[in-house]
Amino acid sequence: MFSGGNAKSLPLVGGLSEPTINQLSNPGRRASRFPKLDVPVTEINNPAIRNDKPLLPEVSEHDLVMHYSRLAHRNFAVDLGFYPLGSCTMKYNPRFADSMANLDTFANSHPSTPAEFTQGNLEILFELEQYLIEITGMDFATFQPPAGASGELTGLLIIKKYLEENNKTNKTNIIVPDSAHGTNPASAKMAGFEVVEVSTDDRGMVNIDDLKNLVDENTAGLMLTNPNTGGLFEEHISEISNIIHDVGGLVYYDGANLNAIVGVCRPGDMGFDIVHSNLHKTFATPHGGGGPGSGPVAVKGFLKEYLPGPIVIKEENGLNWYTPTSSIGRMHGYHGNFLVALRALVYMKLLGKEGLDKLGAFAVLNARYLSSVVSKVIPLAYNEPCMHEFVTTVKHLKKSHKIKASDVGKALLDKGFHSPTIYFPLIVEEALMFEPTETQSVDTLDDLAETLKVIINELQGDDISLEEYPKNLPVGRPNELIPAKHLTVNWGDFELLEITE
Amino acid sequence: MFVPHSEIDLKKMFEELSISSLDDLFSHIPETLKLNDGLSLPESLSELEAIEHFTSIEQNNTQKLVCFAGGGHYDVYLPHTVKSLTMRPEFMTSYTPYQSEISQGILQILFEYQSLICDLTDMELANASLYDGATSVGEAISVAINKTKRDNIVMSSGFNPNTKEVVNTLIDTKKFNINYVELENYLFPEDYIFNDTDAAFVVSLPHYEGSAQDLTNLVANAKKAGVISICYVDPSMLGIIKTPGSMGFDIVIAEGQAMGSSLSFGGPTVGWFATRKELARLVPGRIIGESRDSNQNKTYVMTLRAREQDIRREKASSNICTNQTLNAVGSTIHLSWLGPQGIYEIGYQAIQKSSYMKLELQNAGFEILNPTSSLREFLLKTKKTSNEILSHMGQEGILAGISYDQNTLLVAVTEKRTKKEIDNFVQLIKEYDNV
Repeated sequence: MFSGGNAKSLPLVGGLSEPTINQLSNPGRRASRFPKLDVPVTEINNPAIRNDKPLLPEVSEHDLVMHYSRLAHRNFAVDLGFYPLGSCTMKYNPRFADSMANLDTFANSHPSTPAEFTQGNLEILFELEQYLIEITGMDFATFQPPAGASGELTGLLIIKKYLEENNKTNKTNIIVPDSAHGTNPASAKMAGFEVVEVSTDDRGMVNIDDLKNLVDENTAGLMLTNPNTGGLFEEHISEISNIIHDVGGLVYYDGANLNAIVGVCRPGDMGFDIVHSNLHKTFATPHGGGGPGSGPVAVKGFLKEYLPGPIVIKEENGLNWYTPTSSIGRMHGYHGNFLVALRALVYMKLLGKEGLDKLGAFAVLNARYLSSVVSKVIPLAYNEPCMHEFVTTVKHLKKSHKIKASDVGKALLDKGFHSPTIYFPLIVEEALMFEPTETQSVDTLDDLAETLKVIINELQGDDISLEEYPKNLPVGRPNELIPAKHLTVNWGDFELLEITE
Repeated sequence: MFVPHSEIDLKKMFEELSISSLDDLFSHIPETLKLNDGLSLPESLSELEAIEHFTSIEQNNTQKLVCFAGGGHYDVYLPHTVKSLTMRPEFMTSYTPYQSEISQGILQILFEYQSLICDLTDMELANASLYDGATSVGEAISVAINKTKRDNIVMSSGFNPNTKEVVNTLIDTKKFNINYVELENYLFPEDYIFNDTDAAFVVSLPHYEGSAQDLTNLVANAKKAGVISICYVDPSMLGIIKTPGSMGFDIVIAEGQAMGSSLSFGGPTVGWFATRKELARLVPGRIIGESRDSNQNKTYVMTLRAREQDIRREKASSNICTNQTLNAVGSTIHLSWLGPQGIYEIGYQAIQKSSYMKLELQNAGFEILNPTSSLREFLLKTKKTSNEILSHMGQEGILAGISYDQNTLLVAVTEKRTKKEIDNFVQLIKEYDNV
């Protein structure tokens, strides 16, 4: 028996499971109300019209509000606590940006509205483009890619089209570091390239000798983050760019780690030809539980005409849309995630030159400090000064005490912190990757390091089983095999499984 | 800004790191790469100044346009309850739910989202969202190509031109042939013959032009030829039209904006993706499954992870990582708010109001190209060019539709439009175009 008013699932009352909205459904209840039809009724005759009733839950508005509010209570968030997730840049998202995104015509413009009636929206994109190209050292940008991976694909399709138009169709290989995000090779494959992996040297940098060996006339380009996925600045970046340019390839900057260098240095000055930025990381737009993001792509002038169109340009009588002449084509139905882009601009305006000049520096300061205090508990994977994030490893603890990276992560959850990123980058054994961002205080960083120390001590002792954590959360570690094997992905699937087994 | 460091904090941190300034953090970066004078950007704004800046930009948009444009994005009423719940910070500021123990809120909502979409479309498995409707078409076609190993796509021409352009970007047209089939009388030809080199049959319900047909026989014929049938459906019509599942489709995708997202100038919205379980391992993006923890408590987790880019890298089913979760949360809460009666009503009222509008336009002397087969959206023939009409009507406070071609407008009516607004539209366009 389920009822909408039963709050036993709340940690503060009982901690039981929250029923689904479907289990709260009762025939005849409803939340929605509409104005009465104010036109004469005509008979609808179309063979596509259904005769039966659509299947949706029937709940009152109060039941609905209680249900989703209780679910909100079962979710960690940046607004609730520290997220030291490496590679994710989980910084504070200013609430003010949301209020600007809710202004009427920003939130409610139909995307096909002609430019003469949406000059304000075009202004937002135009102004954001100016900020973005200054910060990255590029010349033009598109806001169509709705996420980082889409930005990567955009960049790769630009490389492909550019090479085709310059009759370099033999260039089929994209070089990707072995430490790269999975989206890099996946995007390269989607764009129709072969993926060639370059190794990482002992210091955690791109192995230059290996790179030289891999590069040949078939090299179309290189995808790289800088700082790289280990949080280290590629000191030889200019040489790396030259190696690729010398064979006629292009160099692509994956903006995953842009936060480290804002105001410090720029991808454009390092020799990168194409840059994508993750506005949902570097420029503080909320992650929304996994999205939406925004992955604008900025390019050097010689690639402008390949951008997905239309882009915003300034004309005599105002702003207008312009479709580049050799465009790779659209990456999104309309203008990308406009309201995400808008929030990023709000953030940039609030920071201004003063804030943006120091953004990377404070992000690096926090990471460097945290790496210093954490390294007293767990060793760093690389003995190099980190930028905005750093990688540690518990491989020695795995050998001596069977403690895995995931055990440390799960124990942290129990103590009020989000886990760092675990098992990434793939080239570091039992990796734990920390990225504090610039918006956490030194007290929080100290607290995390202290908590880690307590956890490691506890896990090394005899009186706790490694699998025990987390123990104070609404649920424990999940059985991950059941849904993968039985495809319990729809309500009723699991119950059906229990009946048949 | 938003940096908490006090002088005392800085002193402590500098001491720990044995440095004396922030610049010392970057001694390993080549001097030639460093920005010596920082960025050439304007000074920061206080919140108060920023309000002034952004509200004045917002005023440069034409205010209060009454929306008769559709083409995939519809001015459906978005209830405050849905907006305020979706914007709860626990949802809005959380990360992807990799750590399931502290992400049960988002995970359960996404599980409900998948289930609601399956119920509504009559499918078995939905993913946890794609970017938008247009990119979902590309992803669905990729699934069909991977499943059938064939290289010909049969695609209805009745799609938003932007969607077609996205498909042409995402699908390598040098390797795969996209055969756009022209509609006849704004309907997909019932006698179309599929053959065994076709990977996918891709069709919109209703078509971009607004006309709808029962596609059951076409899908059955496609199936006989081993073709995967993909339905791009208008989700806000699902309360009143037959389900794609009942017509036999293998994959259902949608631009989910009208369900839980504001128009947003096109983004962020959400791409729905649902299919049958036999295609589970080819599905792009995240999928949430139900399981149990060691105490037999119900728990939700991300599942079938071996399809995804962070595990499979270049062999992944798609490169998608960040998706549109928060918009999927919006869809979930909106659908729950609507219930079966509500979703019927937005479809029913839209069609009734559209019928009224078509009749009024015809009475005023206008030609509707698809008066009987269209539901809520239809093609309106004009003497002046559609761009002239859009410009003139816009100055009168009405977004009259989307330019379909030189002298045709695509006009959409939602449940939100009132008789008064429709009458005003008809009056104004009659005065302007019927001279």
